[in-house]
Formats: sequence, structure tokens, C-alpha cells
Amino acid sequence: MAIVTVDPSGEEIYLPADQTVLGGLYAAGYAYTIGCRRGGCGVCKVDLLEGGVTYDHPVADDVLSREERQEGVCLTCRAVPDGDITVRFRSGSLRLVQPLLRSLNEKSRLQAAASAPQPKE
Amino acid sequence: MGIMRMGYAHVRVTDLAEAKDHYANTMGLYQTLEQDGRVYYKGWDEWDHHSVVLEEGGVGVVKFGFKVEYESDLDVIEKKAQQFGLTVERMSAGENPEVSDGIRFITPSEHVLEVYHGQTVIGTEVGTHNPDAFPRHLVGIGVPALDHALIFAEDVRLMENMFREVFDYFPTERVQTDLDDDDAHFIASWMTSNNQIHQIAILEGEQSKLHHFAFKLQDWNEVGRAADIMTMDDVPIDIGPTRHGITRGQTVYFFDPSGNRNEVFAGGYPAYRDRPINKWTPDQIAKGIFYHARELNERFTTVYT
Ligand code: FES
Ligand SMILES: [Fe+2]
Repeated sequence: MAIVTVDPSGEEIYLPADQTVLGGLYAAGYAYTIGCRRGGCGVCKVDLLEGGVTYDHPVADDVLSREERQEGVCLTCRAVPDGDITVRFRSGSLRLVQPLLRSLNEKSRLQAAASAPQPKE
Repeated sequence: MGIMRMGYAHVRVTDLAEAKDHYANTMGLYQTLEQDGRVYYKGWDEWDHHSVVLEEGGVGVVKFGFKVEYESDLDVIEKKAQQFGLTVERMSAGENPEVSDGIRFITPSEHVLEVYHGQTVIGTEVGTHNPDAFPRHLVGIGVPALDHALIFAEDVRLMENMFREVFDYFPTERVQTDLDDDDAHFIASWMTSNNQIHQIAILEGEQSKLHHFAFKLQDWNEVGRAADIMTMDDVPIDIGPTRHGITRGQTVYFFDPSGNRNEVFAGGYPAYRDRPINKWTPDQIAKGIFYHARELNERFTTVYT
């Protein structure tokens, strides 16, 4: 599992293991500017401020260039977080469209946090 | 004589195994060859060897093939292409497996087009001897054939001129800023060589890019069923089922596993050279593209490969 923190609002969204950033955000009730959902159009990019991601499919170089990868651009429909990440959406494109899903996700996040091993003092 | 149809679309896919699953098991195409990292398919009602070619690595279109009726048509088209100012090269038989010799050129929109006169004939899946209406064990959507493609070009008018002068195509519908052609800026054009409502469409946008390529279906029922199968197979649907005001076709836009946009397309009224062109003005383009929503989704002009 991973927590996606949205910069600058600080909202925290819970992602089950192996879920893509796009899949997790939509399952949590959010929408933003996306396209093919299959790594082909490049429309779903966000900036990764903290943490790392792994691509669960090959991604074409003309969709996400080497430089973009180094600069921390993240193709969200194919990116699975390696651990907790912080992302920033472009031109404030993230919108909450399903508050019900959002509240369910918040429960999952709190549960996951409660069952996580407590750091030793 | 002349161009009969778009014969093949050759596209890039990022993951060949997933793409094969989509085109064979969701679309229901028949694989006819796998060679040198490329996979070749035909629809059940197509007789030529292939209409779709997949190549691993990247996304978007590699090239399109157009089939002419006679070998001698190649000379005519070659000359017209040269007169239009295009650089034409000859291709030899077998450069594309099971495809005849032909010509190849790059359009002003930077798309590669090939023109050929023959492919190895495999035959439709129902044959020609007292044939049944359709194959009994179609897979998935079971598309019968490739239909058309929509490509982007910086200069739509130039592309329309090219298709008219080189391929002897005529436009059936157009989006233009003014009803007077001379004053108008052309935003999009739908073109054909025969009664098929369009074989190619050109939309203003980034050079060399693919908006979608489409497979033929019969009617609303088949389009609706196709959308059901897409849901079962978790195919991302872009829009539909809906109708295009332009061409009157019934449609679903969706994405293959690499993000290339596909379409299933049914209907469309018969095209004739002497039928006046339907002209759409930009204020009504949304109704022209998506007849029911009458609103362009944000993906229509921004999402492509
Ligand atoms: S939505 Fe098309 S690349 Fe992610
Ligand atoms: Fe189309």
C-alpha cells in the first residue's frame, strides 16, 4: 500500500498494493485531466515531488522522455508507487467529484495507519 | 479503378502480448502471421491476408496501406503524386509480407502511405461457396473488417487537395469556418473514393499523429454489444455508444492497451461524387462529432498517439 499526498493541499489518499496512481485517485473519488488510461497519450502526467514509482508496463519514450523521468514527471495511469509519494497536479486539475468514495478511502487510510507497526520510541 | 479502400493500418504498441489479446480476443480479429516482431490480422469478412499490423515499441501509426484495383493504377497514382510535389518510392513485393509491389510516399501531414494492388487472398471466414451469414464462433466483438482512420494534419485543406488529386478521393463532409469554400479555413474533412462514407478523415492538429482507426459494424445493436464486451474486458471507453452527426455513423471510441484510439463504426449514409458536401460550422462541431452529448469531451482533440 501507499499514501499519495497531494501538494499543496496536503490531502492524503490511500492506495492498495499494486494500484496505479490514476486508478487509486479515481477509486477515491477524484478526477483530473486524463486520456487513454493506457500510457499512450501523456495527458495524465503529474509532478512527483517525493517518493518513487515503478511503471507496470513499458512506456514509450515519446510519451514520457528520459529527461521527464529524471525531472520527476510521473505518468499516473501506469505508475505504481514504490512507497508513499507526494505529487503536484498541473494547473490545479485535480477535482473531487465523488465525496462518498473519498470518505470510504479516508476510512481505509486510517485503518491502514492504525494497523501499521508503530515506530519504536 | 483507382483506390478501392484503406487496406491496412500498421500501428505501434508498447506491449505486444497485451495488444495481441486485445485485437484477437476483444476485437475478434484473426491472426494470419507473426514474423519479425510483427503480428498480422484480418477481420472475418476480409479476404486479403491482413488489415491490421502490430509492431512492438512505441505508440501511434507506422503507415497505412491503400489498395488499388489494377496494377496500372500504381503508375497513374505515382505520376499524380509526383505532380503534387510528393517524393514517391517504389516498394517491391514482399517488403510487406503477402503484399504486392507498390508505391510509398510521405504526405504533407508526415504520414506514410503505401499503395498496392494485391495481397495474398486467404478468403473470408464464411467462404464464397454457398456462404453462411457469419461465422458461428466469433470471438469477442467479432469485427468483420477495418473501415477508416482519422489522422491529424497541420493543413487540412492541403491534405484534402492531396487526397483529391492523387487518390481521386472526394470529400463527403467538412468542418469549415465559412460556408464559402474560398473564404473558409478547413478544420476537418471526411473523404472517400466510393459509396463508403469515409475511408480517411483529416483533422487539424499535430503532424504525423493518429486520432483513431476504426472497424466496421452493422448497426446500433452491434455497437451496443461491442460496448458491453469492452466493459467485460476492461477496455477504456472514450465515448459512446453514440452517433456522429458527421457521417451519421454509430460509434464507440475506445483505447487499445497501448493507448491508441480505436473505434467501432456502423452505418453512415452512402456517399456519391455528385452529392453536395455536408458542411459543419465550428459553432456546431460538437453536435457534428458527438450528436447526443453535443459537447466535445476534453479528450477529443488532446488525446492521441
Ligand atoms: S491517460 Fe493517456 S498516458 Fe495516462
Ligand atoms: Fe472514425
